[in-house]
Amino acid sequence: MSVPVKIIMIEDDEGHARLIERNIRRAGVNNEIMPFTTGTDAVKFLFEKANGGGSQDGEALLILLDLNLPDMTGIDILKRVKQDAKLKCAPVVVLTTTDDAQEIKRCYELGCNVYITKPVNYESFANAIRQLGLFFSVIQVPPTQS
Amino acid sequence: MVGALALRRFGSSQMVILSLGLAVLIAISAASIFFVYKSRDDADWIVHTVEVQNQIATVLLEIRRAESATRAYLLSPGPQFLSEYETASALILPAVDKLAELTSDNPFQVQNSIKLRQAIEKRMSEFARGIDRLKNNDVATSIDVLRGGDTGESVQAIVAISRTMRAEEDRLFALRNTSADRSQQLAAIVTTAGSGIVIALAGFSLMQVRRAFSARDNAERQLRENNANLETTVDERTADLREANDEIQRFAYIVSHDLRSPLVNIMGFTSELEELRGDIFRRIASKTAIASDGERAIEPVNEEPVLEGEDKKLSDEFTEALGFIKSSIGRMDRLIGAILNLTREGRREFRPEHIDLNEFLQGIVSSVAHQAAEADATIRIEALPDITSDRLAIEQIFSNLIDNALKYLKAGKPGDVLIRGRGKLGFAVVEVIDNGRGIDPKDHQRIFDLFRRAGAQDRPGQGIGLAHVRALVRRLNGTLNVTSELDNGSTFTVTLPINWTAEKRGKAA
Repeated sequence: MSVPVKIIMIEDDEGHARLIERNIRRAGVNNEIMPFTTGTDAVKFLFEKANGGGSQDGEALLILLDLNLPDMTGIDILKRVKQDAKLKCAPVVVLTTTDDAQEIKRCYELGCNVYITKPVNYESFANAIRQLGLFFSVIQVPPTQS
Repeated sequence: MVGALALRRFGSSQMVILSLGLAVLIAISAASIFFVYKSRDDADWIVHTVEVQNQIATVLLEIRRAESATRAYLLSPGPQFLSEYETASALILPAVDKLAELTSDNPFQVQNSIKLRQAIEKRMSEFARGIDRLKNNDVATSIDVLRGGDTGESVQAIVAISRTMRAEEDRLFALRNTSADRSQQLAAIVTTAGSGIVIALAGFSLMQVRRAFSARDNAERQLRENNANLETTVDERTADLREANDEIQRFAYIVSHDLRSPLVNIMGFTSELEELRGDIFRRIASKTAIASDGERAIEPVNEEPVLEGEDKKLSDEFTEALGFIKSSIGRMDRLIGAILNLTREGRREFRPEHIDLNEFLQGIVSSVAHQAAEADATIRIEALPDITSDRLAIEQIFSNLIDNALKYLKAGKPGDVLIRGRGKLGFAVVEVIDNGRGIDPKDHQRIFDLFRRAGAQDRPGQGIGLAHVRALVRRLNGTLNVTSELDNGSTFTVTLPINWTAEKRGKAA
């Protein structure tokens, strides 16, 4: 069987993180979710441990990324992930409040796999996350090992 | 300012110099002409004097010739001497007459010439008598006659008179010569002095011209500097404004954006609360049911619990509170969305292109045909001018105005919306006239403010449309005005430049 996918959630707003997690769980996705509230922590985890042959080797990662982080922009993280030899195959889902067309275009250009705008309307929000959960349950993610 | 004053002063002083120069030149010319005539006169008079002197000499010479011929005839009577005498004596009187004529201008000389003539006539009669005696062979008498003449009073008189006349003419000659000299000297002095004055004036004028030139150069340099300064200042201010504008745009964008984030949470957890409420009241309901029935009633999970009394009231209050929270959040979300749209619109670059307004507005009108039919309204378009402007902005301006016209019609009265326009001094004036409910004059300013509305609040809206329209019209260098009375319809007048170019607005856009 394939390696279980670990979800890396980079989201500074703990409320959002909680809502996202809840809705993912409601969609029946039981994968491990690792939350990070700052870009720095996430980058440290992703690159230092991964590149240093840490515990992430051989793990399949899926990254849920918010663009508005207090210490750096999600775009920078996206750029680094997609430039990294090991991580570039990991799917990145940008989940953010920004619905600016330029921003969306830029994210796709940088290699983001899915871009979702967080709607204020909770029905839509929950729906989007649940569908994302369905997506998670069927997606095939290669392990980070090269 | 100083330069202009100097230039004006220069102009007037230059006029004075020029007039002075002209006056001096005229004076010199007049004096020259005067002196030329005067010296010609003087010369004439000198010539005249010389002529008179000549004539006197001629007269005397002819007398001498007659005398010598008479004497020669006396010594050796020969016909050739006689004829010579006759020739000479014939010439004497005409010469005397000529002399008299020449001296006719001078009373003194006239007197003299009369005396001279008398003396000469007397002498000539002596000659004639001598010749006569000789013809009669009376040589002795003849010699007497002639000898007497030698020392006689007639000869003396002739000599004396001719000397007086000569002296007079000499005096006149000297006088006239001096006068001619003086005239020439004066002419020379006047010409020299005049030329000197003219040259001095020209020099002064040149100096003034140079001074004025340098003043003008200074003024020009100052003007250039001022212009450069002004341009720099304008550029700086424009840059400042642009920066401030960008700052506001960024600020509005970030603020509205960041406001959204907590709103997601509020909405999310409110919805979660709603779920919880369902769970809680279902549990209460089932507990009440158990208490009353004594057996466990299994409620279907997603059904509204059946509540009574206090419980029902609590549940309703809970629902009401949640409802207010959610509707407020929805409203806030729409407002934030509107601000985001406005800032996005503010950052969009406008591109001028040619628009056939008739066709363009027809397009907008047909897109709201359904809405118009529902509102029982007709929209008429009269001839409109073509303009060059930003297509999307124009579309938003007129969509909003037409939309408003259809939205705020008077109940029970068929709507009539008229769009008409005309060109005026490079501007296109387009009016959107409706017969709707109208706007109270005290609200005319307010309706253009963001998030503000007027009149009965019976239509959905955020109070953004007109604020947006006004912002767009301003960006297109136009104006937007309203004339309206309550219950009497409204007229929105959009004035836009017919030929809008992005440059007019400058880099500030």
